Amino acid sequence: MALTSARLLTRTVHEKWICAHSLTLRPLVCINKAAFYGEYRRPGQAQDRTPPWKKIRFSFAKGVQGIRKHFGLLKDEAMERWVGPQGRPLIEHMLEQTRVQWEFRGPESLEQWLVSTDREIGGRSEAYLKLGRNDSACMLYGTLCSTPPRDGETCYSGYCTLRSRQLLSSFDRKKNIDWSSFNTLYIRLRGDGRPWMINIAAETYFSHQKDDLYNYFLYTRGGPYWQDVKIPFSKFFLSSRGRIQDNQHPLWLDKVSTIGFTLGDKADGPFQLEIDFIAVCNDRAHTEEFAYEMYKRNPEV
Amino acid sequence: MNSTRRCFVRFMMSTKALVPGASWPCSNLGPAAQILRTFRVSGTVAKKKSRPVRTGYDEKPERERSLVADDDDDDDPFERAAREAGTKAAFDGLLDVFVRRDVRRRGHVEFIYAALRKMPDFGVEHDIAVYNKLLDVFPKEVFVPRNFIQRMFNHYPRQQECAIQVLEQMENYGLMPNVETKVLLVQIFGEKSHPMRKYQRMMYWFPKFKHANPYPVPLQLPRDPVDLARFSLNRIAHDLDARVAVYQFPSTEVSETGEKVSRPHVVGIQSPEQRRLLAEHNPSRPVFVEGPFPLWLRKTCVHYYVLRADPLPPEEKVEESIDPERSFFYPLELDLDLDRDFGDLDSFDVDEVEEGPVFAMCMAGQADQATLAKWISGLQETNPILGRTPILFRLESGPRELQQATESEPEPSAEEEPLHSQGMKQ
Repeated sequence: MALTSARLLTRTVHEKWICAHSLTLRPLVCINKAAFYGEYRRPGQAQDRTPPWKKIRFSFAKGVQGIRKHFGLLKDEAMERWVGPQGRPLIEHMLEQTRVQWEFRGPESLEQWLVSTDREIGGRSEAYLKLGRNDSACMLYGTLCSTPPRDGETCYSGYCTLRSRQLLSSFDRKKNIDWSSFNTLYIRLRGDGRPWMINIAAETYFSHQKDDLYNYFLYTRGGPYWQDVKIPFSKFFLSSRGRIQDNQHPLWLDKVSTIGFTLGDKADGPFQLEIDFIAVCNDRAHTEEFAYEMYKRNPEV
Repeated sequence: MNSTRRCFVRFMMSTKALVPGASWPCSNLGPAAQILRTFRVSGTVAKKKSRPVRTGYDEKPERERSLVADDDDDDDPFERAAREAGTKAAFDGLLDVFVRRDVRRRGHVEFIYAALRKMPDFGVEHDIAVYNKLLDVFPKEVFVPRNFIQRMFNHYPRQQECAIQVLEQMENYGLMPNVETKVLLVQIFGEKSHPMRKYQRMMYWFPKFKHANPYPVPLQLPRDPVDLARFSLNRIAHDLDARVAVYQFPSTEVSETGEKVSRPHVVGIQSPEQRRLLAEHNPSRPVFVEGPFPLWLRKTCVHYYVLRADPLPPEEKVEESIDPERSFFYPLELDLDLDRDFGDLDSFDVDEVEEGPVFAMCMAGQADQATLAKWISGLQETNPILGRTPILFRLESGPRELQQATESEPEPSAEEEPLHSQGMKQ
């Protein structure tokens, strides 16, 4: 059961990544992000043979808007150095034991999240994200349907995913989150008894690692009460394209890019998950560095 | 030419001598037969078609003899047997028929793919013995690589992929392979083949996560709805002091007019803390019966109802101070003036979600107001305040009884929920 949910089809989610390396041209010229990595092409779908220069959409108004936004961000970045590292006072940077990374208060907090389902690969699941009453605690709801698309190649289907957007600093550079002073993930949520999976994507160096995810399971209890979940980062195991890897490695917390929640337990029907906040904390009682063997391949072959 | 062949024969013989535990299945045929066997491709049909499962399109004479056929073929033995008797015995019988039909097991890859697809129809997809029997269809020791070149390349790739598919289906149904699987895989593909690797991976990772769930659900849920309700309510109550009360057992009786009246079960749970909260509730404010809310136990969905109130407005909130004489043994509240700095702060900087208190939960066999009123009247015996409190029923459209729920639409409450939000937000 556990491995089953580990093999989630997270590929399409990855392709939503915003990747931007062209520093100067970015604000003025809008290049389709899919031009870099290519979107998921369903079996039977014709290949997009448009030359890349035809995808450039030149817009002067958008360029001015972009320059304004990015130089504003650049100014903020320059100014926050005077406050302290990462824009926070030094005492806070050194001594903080808990940090609330994402909280759902107000409609603008939903804009940091992406919802995707297997509809992208031709499935029939639905998922929606909305804010709870009193503008607190987001609610992810929908229907799961694990009927695979009838395209002759896809064998498995049925997932719904909530994924945080990649944070971007000025000129659309990736901004990663530094969690290296914490060792535990802390989530306050309320589910309906279904098992979910937490996916943490960290910044990688080589492009063949772009599908690497660190996963662990998130079991919900169900019922009307909130549930506090603490998961040490040492428990997260490495997977790539939904397959557990033989060579495991602990998650490097200094460059975390996104976090995601995936449902794929093959139980067709409605689901719901309410998340109050997602935080990290430093559990001083937890000393484990990595929960899986590293002195040999898993399994040894 | 002749010398090379003799050389090859000698090499084959020496390999056989080197492998101590190797027992050849048809050793009475002599070494010449073995050489023939090394060149034989077991899935002859598979070589011609790219799709392994589909076979017998363009080979008419082959089709009558083939055990495996297309989806839409009525002569598929699996479909026929599933229609007649979809049991484990029928499935085993089919495997036996195929194994006995041909010593060479011609077309076994297609047969195994077809069998894998039809396993849910026979209800054997959770049976490890059936998977082992399915792996047993592979001919033994034919696909074991015998020299380093074979070992280096993907030896009999289609057969290995097929065995991996068998293991993957086991994995998808949460089945852990056993020693018999391992022995079979070693016999069929050898020690370091791809299916063997897959087996090793499963045996490494499955036990790691076997007990990862802190809220375990048994594989076989209780059949009795009252027992199921008891289990689910204990799970969602998350309080060891909570007591389950059965307000009505399910029963069917014939009334005087001759109609059959079936009484649904009504099972509720309440903890002492919830009882205290209800006793402190202001009777002028209404309490709500809300539901049904879903709860998933593996693949089954049950629904429960909640008795709750709206959150208190800020002007009615009373700061409660703990009586210092409540416990003589240890202080319940400590206000020491310690020098604690930022590094000792372990709480999270978020606003609490404002929610009304939950007073009780219940599960019922029917989602109508009359059934839930039995629950409320049963609750009144232990919570007399419910007799003085207005109770509103906010029953949203249930999963099945859409019509009934609209009839029992309650009085318009202050805030109407949109249709999608049948969640348990306050």
